[in-house]
Amino acid sequence: MKSTCRAVMATAFLALAAAASPAMAGDPIRTIEILSRPQASQPQEFQSIQLIAQEWRKLGLTVNVRVMPWEQMSDVVWYQRADWDSTAWQMVGRPERSDPDEIIYNLFHSSTAEKGYNFIGYQNPEYDAVAEAQRGEIDPEKRKAMVFEAQELLARDQPNMMLVHPKQTFAFDKTVWKPESIVDQSGIGIRNTWTFMALEPLGEKKDIVLNSSDNVKAINPLYISGGVDSWVFELVYDRLIRVGPDGLPKAWAAESYEWKGDKTVAVKLREGMKWHDGKPVTPEDVKFSFEAIVSGEAPMYAPFGSNIESIAIDGQVITFTLKKPAASFVTSSLAKVNLIPKHVWEPIIEDLKTKEANAESYQEKTPIGSGPYKFERWLTNEEIVLSANKEHFNAPKADRWILRIVPNVEAALGMLRSGELNFLGEFSGDPKVLIDAAKQDGDLEVVSTVEMGFRYVAFNERRPPFNDVAFRRALSAAVDRRLIVNAAYRGFAVPSNSVISPSLEFWYDPKTLAELKTGHDVAAGMLEEAGYTLDGGKLHYPGDTKETLAK
Amino acid sequence: MSHLKAVASRTLQLALVLWAVVTILFLMFRLMPGNPMAAYIDPTFTVEQQQALMAQFGLDKPLWEQYFIYLGNLLQGELGQSFRYREPVAERIFALLPNTLILTFSSLFVAYAFGILAGAYLAWRRGSAVENAAIPLVLMTRAMPEFWLGMVLLAVFSFWLGWFPAGGTRPAGADYDSLWALYTSRDFLSYLALPALTLAIYSQGLPLLLMRSNMLDVMKEDFVTMARIKGLSNWTVVVRHAARNALLPVMTSFAIAVGYQLQGNVVVESIFSWPGLGRELVNAVSASDYPLAQGAFLMIAVVVILMNLIADMLYALLDPRISHA
Repeated sequence: MKSTCRAVMATAFLALAAAASPAMAGDPIRTIEILSRPQASQPQEFQSIQLIAQEWRKLGLTVNVRVMPWEQMSDVVWYQRADWDSTAWQMVGRPERSDPDEIIYNLFHSSTAEKGYNFIGYQNPEYDAVAEAQRGEIDPEKRKAMVFEAQELLARDQPNMMLVHPKQTFAFDKTVWKPESIVDQSGIGIRNTWTFMALEPLGEKKDIVLNSSDNVKAINPLYISGGVDSWVFELVYDRLIRVGPDGLPKAWAAESYEWKGDKTVAVKLREGMKWHDGKPVTPEDVKFSFEAIVSGEAPMYAPFGSNIESIAIDGQVITFTLKKPAASFVTSSLAKVNLIPKHVWEPIIEDLKTKEANAESYQEKTPIGSGPYKFERWLTNEEIVLSANKEHFNAPKADRWILRIVPNVEAALGMLRSGELNFLGEFSGDPKVLIDAAKQDGDLEVVSTVEMGFRYVAFNERRPPFNDVAFRRALSAAVDRRLIVNAAYRGFAVPSNSVISPSLEFWYDPKTLAELKTGHDVAAGMLEEAGYTLDGGKLHYPGDTKETLAK
Repeated sequence: MSHLKAVASRTLQLALVLWAVVTILFLMFRLMPGNPMAAYIDPTFTVEQQQALMAQFGLDKPLWEQYFIYLGNLLQGELGQSFRYREPVAERIFALLPNTLILTFSSLFVAYAFGILAGAYLAWRRGSAVENAAIPLVLMTRAMPEFWLGMVLLAVFSFWLGWFPAGGTRPAGADYDSLWALYTSRDFLSYLALPALTLAIYSQGLPLLLMRSNMLDVMKEDFVTMARIKGLSNWTVVVRHAARNALLPVMTSFAIAVGYQLQGNVVVESIFSWPGLGRELVNAVSASDYPLAQGAFLMIAVVVILMNLIADMLYALLDPRISHA
């Protein structure tokens, strides 16, 4: 009743405003800025931002695209939170992000607005409540409903303008590997741990030879050092749980796991596992692995263990008791923390405690894990050789896993065709070129997978006009996402209106995208409805709003 | 006496040049926009974690203090710790240096051997059709960008003909007992061939043209005329008398070319996935790994300066007419 009344009043006011315009118009909206990384390093992002700026200008805005390198952009967005308007941004997919908690909570909860990941300054108590509730809900179906609600709130408020979920494209030689043995992990693609364990050789060639353009920085179970490195240590080290091909947690070094209330998980360790040096994997090793990350010597892993209150051992059963309920614990901690041998790492960590350096800068000569592949050799900036651990409970079918560092993308494609590589682990070039090359060659198979990660434009909610929901909704509606997909990503992406990717089928709310209406007329209509006026082609604030920027 | 003095003054000059290089390197990386560690501080870090990381790398201290610590460490041969790899810069540089040196020296050896012979031959055949065709060809190879030449050689000899592998220093997964065993293996030669050929084609122009013009000068000298009058054969005159004298400036240019070649390696190492210092330098710069970039730049600067010194000394040694006064 009250809201209808308000709507009537607003309409009446609007009519009045329209009649009296331009006297009743607010300040003209200042030049708004949008940050983007350079074309040379981020061609798709740059192209998307150009398209978006063009559409926004049609609404009567003066838009300035400011191009800056990542170091500078992250510095501005992260540390000068009141000083920017909008920026291109991206979140990358990682197996542990298969659980929606990190994205749903950290990106939008008001507690992370000051210093954490909510750098846009989104504040919504209703949303906070949902984000907190899903954290503590261990029943998957109930939690799913909450995650859906969160997605719908975000779709309504448009704190960000979601653009696309890009596709990852990889290829392999189907004369060397049995095509049916490839595993396409949802949100990740075919280059994943499951594929490397399952690849089945067809003939004499039994070594997986793949490329990366980036050097391996470290093979260190206590240091999160970057993308390529994780390909290696995910094979050398086991975890209690692994994120399965479907994006849901799967018992791994744990034979089984069970929630015993919302703060207690009991994990039963698989029997008969061995470290690569022959010693048995014990529950003490598991306990040690989770204690090592909070020892102060592994700061990057510390957040994954900081919620653990205590760890108890009873035979093969390890019971984790948490400080606060966390439904995501299984995926984001148990499937994230590498199991490391106590007999190797305990002396190292004790020694490091007396020194300034921490475990992140410690590189073992021969990393010892219990994973499906054993470390053999590492030649600086050239190659890494792992050999199959035939005693593993899920032993790989290939003999060796060899990672070659190939900085030149044309050379990588040439090598795949000539047989120097048999698995394309990374291709930064145009996916169409790869598909054409595969057609020509005949021996290659290309697979594209929708990523878990996403690209978006972040709005700074601290600054007008972005503090107005109607304004954000209109700006977001101004751009047809299919335009971005086709013009900037050449079709290798899918439109997005949710921070949860459609590749995470269980958690993804398809309503968000289905209900997104876009186009210039839609956007202009929204602005008009909210009272924004056009004067001399320039957009003005509604009513008699004065533009004030907090200093 | 004067010789010793000359050496002392050269050394002093060297030290000054090095100091200037070091200072410029230090300032250059600190004038870049943004926090020097922005690329390495994960945004999920707490403020305390970020500060701890800054302190670990000494970045919390005032600039002048950082500068003196940097100079002090350099004097002890300490190049600092890489942001990106979290390991000592010196260790990385010395792991990659052998690959770069072998590529540099093998390609320069080929370039100079070919350049000297061809230059002498062209001087001898001055005015012939061969010379008329060869000189524009040489100028053309001098003008070709290395990345283009590299890609063409890669496309033709590796992807099309399949004669040579496309990148790296060894077959995937191949193991060798030592670096020596690798460098003397047949496989290594096939991997070295294309990158070395690219660099050799690119750098043969200088010795060739230098040798040719020196030869033309020397051939006009009295002692050559004297040799001809003595009735010596054409071959003896050209090789034993003229070429030996024309060779001096070419040999000193070799020393300087080593320095320049290290820069050329940057491109070729990236094209042929060669694990060398040049590629690491590019990586370090693009990843804002300032300590590593500084170290790699410094190493290249030291080699260039040293090679210049050697060139100077070689000159004086080979040609007594050049004095240090």
